[in-house]
Amino acid sequence: MFYNTAGQFKTSYTKDQSLFPVKQDAILLGVVLLCAWIIFPMTASEFTFKTMLMPVLCYSLAALGLNVLTGFAGQLSLGTAAFMGVGAFACYKLITIFPEMNIIVAILLSGVFSSAVGVAFGLPSLRIKGFYLAIATLAAQFFLVWLFEKWHWLSNHNPSGAIEVPNIDMFGITVAGPNAAPVTQYYLILAIVTLITIVTINLTRGNQGRIWKATRDMDIAAELIGINLLKSKLTAFAVSSYIVGVAGALFVFLNLGAAEPNFFDIPLSFKILFIAIIGGLGSVMGNFMGAILIVALPVVIKFLPDAIGLEINPATVEHLNIMTVGALIIFFLIIEPHGLARLWQLIREKLIIWPFPH
Amino acid sequence: MKKLTSFAAAAVMAITAGAASAEGLSTPNLSYRTGPFAATGIPLMNGQRDYMLMLNARDGGIGGVPVDFSECETGYSTEKGVECYEATKGDAIVTQPWSTGITLQVLPKTNVDEIPILAPGYGFSPMADGSVFNWAFNMPGSYWDAASMILNEISGNDLSTLSGQKIAFLHLDHPFGKEPLPFLENMAEEHGFELLPIPVGLKEMQNQSAQWLQIRRERPDYVVMWGWGAMNAGALTEAVKTRYPMDQFLGVWWSGHDGDMEALGEAGTGYRSISYSAPQPDAQVMADIREYVFDKGDSLATESELDWVFYQRGLVISAMLAEGIKTAQDHFGEGEITASQLRWGLENINLTDERLAEMGMTGMVAPFSTSCSNHTGHAGGWMLQWNGSEWEVASDHLMPDSEAIRPLEVAAAAEYAEANAPWPIADCE
Repeated sequence: MFYNTAGQFKTSYTKDQSLFPVKQDAILLGVVLLCAWIIFPMTASEFTFKTMLMPVLCYSLAALGLNVLTGFAGQLSLGTAAFMGVGAFACYKLITIFPEMNIIVAILLSGVFSSAVGVAFGLPSLRIKGFYLAIATLAAQFFLVWLFEKWHWLSNHNPSGAIEVPNIDMFGITVAGPNAAPVTQYYLILAIVTLITIVTINLTRGNQGRIWKATRDMDIAAELIGINLLKSKLTAFAVSSYIVGVAGALFVFLNLGAAEPNFFDIPLSFKILFIAIIGGLGSVMGNFMGAILIVALPVVIKFLPDAIGLEINPATVEHLNIMTVGALIIFFLIIEPHGLARLWQLIREKLIIWPFPH
Repeated sequence: MKKLTSFAAAAVMAITAGAASAEGLSTPNLSYRTGPFAATGIPLMNGQRDYMLMLNARDGGIGGVPVDFSECETGYSTEKGVECYEATKGDAIVTQPWSTGITLQVLPKTNVDEIPILAPGYGFSPMADGSVFNWAFNMPGSYWDAASMILNEISGNDLSTLSGQKIAFLHLDHPFGKEPLPFLENMAEEHGFELLPIPVGLKEMQNQSAQWLQIRRERPDYVVMWGWGAMNAGALTEAVKTRYPMDQFLGVWWSGHDGDMEALGEAGTGYRSISYSAPQPDAQVMADIREYVFDKGDSLATESELDWVFYQRGLVISAMLAEGIKTAQDHFGEGEITASQLRWGLENINLTDERLAEMGMTGMVAPFSTSCSNHTGHAGGWMLQWNGSEWEVASDHLMPDSEAIRPLEVAAAAEYAEANAPWPIADCE
């Protein structure tokens, strides 16, 4: 009924290949975008901005980057957090060396550095596959975090080894640092995330995306039909690390405000991998759904008992939180191993024929 | 449907009731009773909590206003710490971040949010310079104070005797562990001893064989440890295994946890830890805690925990906060003080011997006073030594070398202000 596709005729190939062949999909996305761009910013408190909206967007972007590599090109990576770190440290160096540089330019440029590092660590992927590649990217994870700790030039010789974001102005408005208003930071993050998501959707639907999928599904077959595996895998590493690097820079500069090298350690990599897996590998929308489940839900659970006046020991809440989120992850993976995005797909298909299933 | 409506009504009532219960002086604590540092965190959190509960039960709060001492669990994670800070800052008059990482994140925001940070004996050492760090307090001593007192103790108050000696600095590879490095490097250069920094990664805390192999090879005259959580137990076990002389092994005040030492027992005899607090099991305040909190079953602590160094340090921390609140109440003549009034109070603490006796805390912390330019108080402390079954005070009252520390503090604070420009700087004259 709500998803009735009857009467939506496609009279040309262009129409049939459009991004949203079903009108309701476009409307739904419009509602989501309306919420994200207008309703949330108008209603959210500083707490919601800082702990839910902005982290969800940053994590979604990082998971999207990982998904390009793992979900679309089939190269398993465990070094995501380290590439985020490269982005964040590169952005910090750019901002401190060229204080006049526009923060958006710096953030987008910092992705180039993580992209280069990603390609370097992606080289082994030409020879090794699957779990063995995961181990090789694990090396990137350990090496880069070690480098962030030992190479003091990266943090401008800060005695604590952490990077701290200074106050940064853009066109007279403070956008980063302690004096920035959360709503400005939110809009900046949202703009960059929206932009990169649109580019990625088009990239994965186009020629390059098909090359990646062919590589993922069967690399020998892909090679036989004339796909250059070297190029295909390395572009996947480059694009993926770029997005991940931008996500790292965004997260530290516009949301956290400071980060120590240990922040980019392996638990963060796992968190992002979980988001990508639970959201759905090979999907763009899944990253956002996964991030809501893994990032925003624990915050809600944590502060819910207090908000409704229940007196529970905070340590108990924390333990409950870990258990609930863990149980939910298992629950979702049992009912749909292909992730939340696939779950939504199934629901949507059922809705299309509802209420007259055949 | 009816059920749903009544449930919704109940939920709304619960929410309003929840908001109404948050009256009084809101002093949230960003606790860590979970995660890798929980073992050391729990006694401290219990001490802090019990002291405030005791004040509420005995005196009806501070100045007649009850203290709303709530906890928000961080698990020592920086990300969750920021969540907790944002969640609790609404009506809070103080924030207690409890991790150097979280302190670094929250520090720049307090100028904007105008909430004082209380980081007793941790955080960023240059916070002592109150003209730059208007809103941050780390009394009764900073990490640089601790490092200085350790050096004073091992050199017999004459640092020149350390010349030519080798001191290994075993530290957690984390902002906390790196904090005293600038001071120690400076002292090493000035007094001609060799400083050997040995970092321990967060992942290697429990297995420090590589670090102790290096110590065995280098044979340092002293090992100074800046460890936390599982790292302390790991280091002490390795020290016993490699037969490093315990009386040449010293730790910061967070490396003196009863639980770790009890596991070692006799083998740990001689190990020393600097401390700004000293346990006084017979103090009046302990009797009050037992009477008003512990015996009623309101405490989360266990019987044996009450005499632990960390538990009693928790009491001292809350006592300092309570003293700041009281100072502000007396000055402004109001019970329900605001965050900025508490800032004034924390800046004008004068904790004398008489006042400590009045609070029933004689000997638990050294007397100190704070001022606009001195947010640390520099109370000094004592060397605690493990005698095989418990900690005992093994030195006279030690003082840090403030003359050497002060210029470093001022320089580091100025550097911080410059990196974070525009940064408000108060005039302390």
